[in-house]
Order: sequence, then structure tokens, then C-alpha cells
Amino acid sequence: MLKNTLYSLFIIALCLLLGKFIAAYLGGLPASLYGMIILTSALHFKRVNPDKISATISWIINHMGVCFVPAGVGIINHYQLINEHGLTLVVIIFISTFVLLSFVGLAYQHLVLNKHSSQS
Amino acid sequence: MSKLLDKVDMLALTPSLFFILATIAVYQSFAYLQNKSRLIWLNPMLLSIASIIPLLLYFKLPFELYYHSTQFINNLLEPAVVALGFPLYQQLNSIKNQWEILGLILALGVILVIILSFTLTMIFIAIPKIAVSLSLKSITTPIAIALSQQLNGDSSITAFAIILAGLFGALLGPSWLNLINVKSPKAQGLAIGAASHALGTATISKISYEHGAYGSLALIVSAVITALICPFLINILSLWFW
Repeated sequence: MLKNTLYSLFIIALCLLLGKFIAAYLGGLPASLYGMIILTSALHFKRVNPDKISATISWIINHMGVCFVPAGVGIINHYQLINEHGLTLVVIIFISTFVLLSFVGLAYQHLVLNKHSSQS
Repeated sequence: MSKLLDKVDMLALTPSLFFILATIAVYQSFAYLQNKSRLIWLNPMLLSIASIIPLLLYFKLPFELYYHSTQFINNLLEPAVVALGFPLYQQLNSIKNQWEILGLILALGVILVIILSFTLTMIFIAIPKIAVSLSLKSITTPIAIALSQQLNGDSSITAFAIILAGLFGALLGPSWLNLINVKSPKAQGLAIGAASHALGTATISKISYEHGAYGSLALIVSAVITALICPFLINILSLWFW
């Protein structure tokens, strides 16, 4: 893994840099998302060897939770909002999560699985 | 502890290093705890936030000091999003034959959930910043935070809404789907990946391989769809409410 760590970090930084250029010229998506799409295309068109970067990438993905902690601590500035609307927030999140769960689950089951089973 | 902080002050050690180390140490201990206990609700991100807040309040440290000191950690979010291109690449092969129908279902789901969350928040709370944050709550955190900053949402509310959506789907998702008679592993994985992102996907991956594969497929595809649709949809919805 150590052997390819620098290579992987270089690839990620390069994709991010290209993403920043595109975001500066085109706008629209955040630079990091352009970077993500560039990495996907580079892998898809075999410009980057997936075996070389997979170990470093999975390390990054496994540990990236820590990056959200500072942003999350910012909730400290919303004492009043939580006090006033905390329960409403939780209820809205609860309802929309279950609506989405049901919609995707039912739609996939009816459109894809049932159609396939009736064909076969 | 306050003596320790005085020492830190005396040493003229940049608060930066201290806060970064403290954040990583807190997070790692909770991550270890979760690995050992295997309990979903012992979410290391949630617990770290919940234990750093009282520490800051107790030692009367302003949030701005903490936030500026930990900019380094925050900046790692961007490369982390780029790294997600790898699982996206892995999933592309598996959806080759059915990408049209999958894309359609996930896109409709994304549109539905954005309209629903935005509208409900505007009706009951009426703060546009919060409405933007809640609209992004079903997708994976790095992409949601990037979008939330771009669309003038509030990152911390987004982060909290995401954890809650993840916990609801992870803890109650499988039983709810069984209840409404969605029993195929593929459909369950897809639904939980779309609604409860990585937190839900990690949890259901333990049920079966198919759960995990379809979960990560849905989580990455719906995040990309959200990124593409959200800016336009939020603009239209904002016009509606003014």
C-alpha cells in the first residue's frame, strides 16, 4: 500500500485541481464534484490503474468521518433554532426519509423485479 | 484540564495543533468504541460533535476559534469527495444494463425528497437556509456539505440532518421495508442507500452482499443526481416561496 500512496494522493490532487479549473470557468457544481467525475472518467477510460489506488482510497473513505466534525460542531451557534424548532426538524427528517425509502423500494420492486419475473 | 490549556497557551503552541489533535483523538476513540460494540447509534461523528460542544462551552472557548483552528481537517473534505469517484467507477459496471430505469427511479426519488423537505421546512420553520440544509439530508455527507455551502445552506444543520436520516434508515429501514412488502435484497439496498446514504448502507451490508452493493450504488448515484438537480430545483422552489 505504501508504495502507491503518493501516487494515489497525486491523482486525487490532480483531479481536484482540474475540478477547480472547471468550476472556475463553468460554475454549476462544486469543484470537488467535478474532481470526482474526472477521477471516475479517468478510471473508466483506463488512464488511471484502479488496483494502484484502491488501498489508499478505501483508507480515505473509511476515515473521512472525522472531516465532518468541525462543521458539525457549528450547531453550537444554533441553540435558539434547536430550542424553538428542534422537534419540527426531527419530524420533517423522519417523514421525508420514510417517504423516500418507500418510494425507491416500491418503484424498484414494481418496475424492475416484477417485470423481470413475469418475463422469465 | 484548564491548567493544561494554560500550559498550551504558555508554550505559545498554536491552538490549531491542539484542536486538530483533540478532534482526531475524540473521533478515533468513538470509532474504536463502535468497532468493538457494533452498535449503529454509537456513531463516531455524532458522538464526537456531542462531546466537543460541551467541552467548548465548559472551557468558554468560542466556536470561531475552534473552527478556524480545525480548518485543516475541514479542507480535507474536498479530496475526500474526489476519492468517492472510485466507488462510483466500480458501480458503473454493475448498472450497465439497467442504468436507465435505475437513474429514473433515483432521480424521481431525489426530486420528491427535495420538494418534500424544502416545502415542509418552509411551511413550518420558514428559514430558507434550513430548508436548503434539510433538502440535502439524504445524500452522503461530503457532497451534501459541498452543495450546502454552494447553495447558501448551513453546513452544521446539514451535517445533523444527514446523521439523523442515516440513523432512521439504518435502524428502522429494513423492518419498515419488510412491513410495506418490499422484500427483495436489491430493492431494500437501493431504498436504504438512496434515503440513508453511507450510514444506512454500512449497516445493511451485514445482511447480505446484494444489500451492500445496491446500497452503495444508490448512495453514489443519488448523490450525483442531487448535485446536478439541486441547484436548479432549489432556485425554482425559492422563487415559489417569495
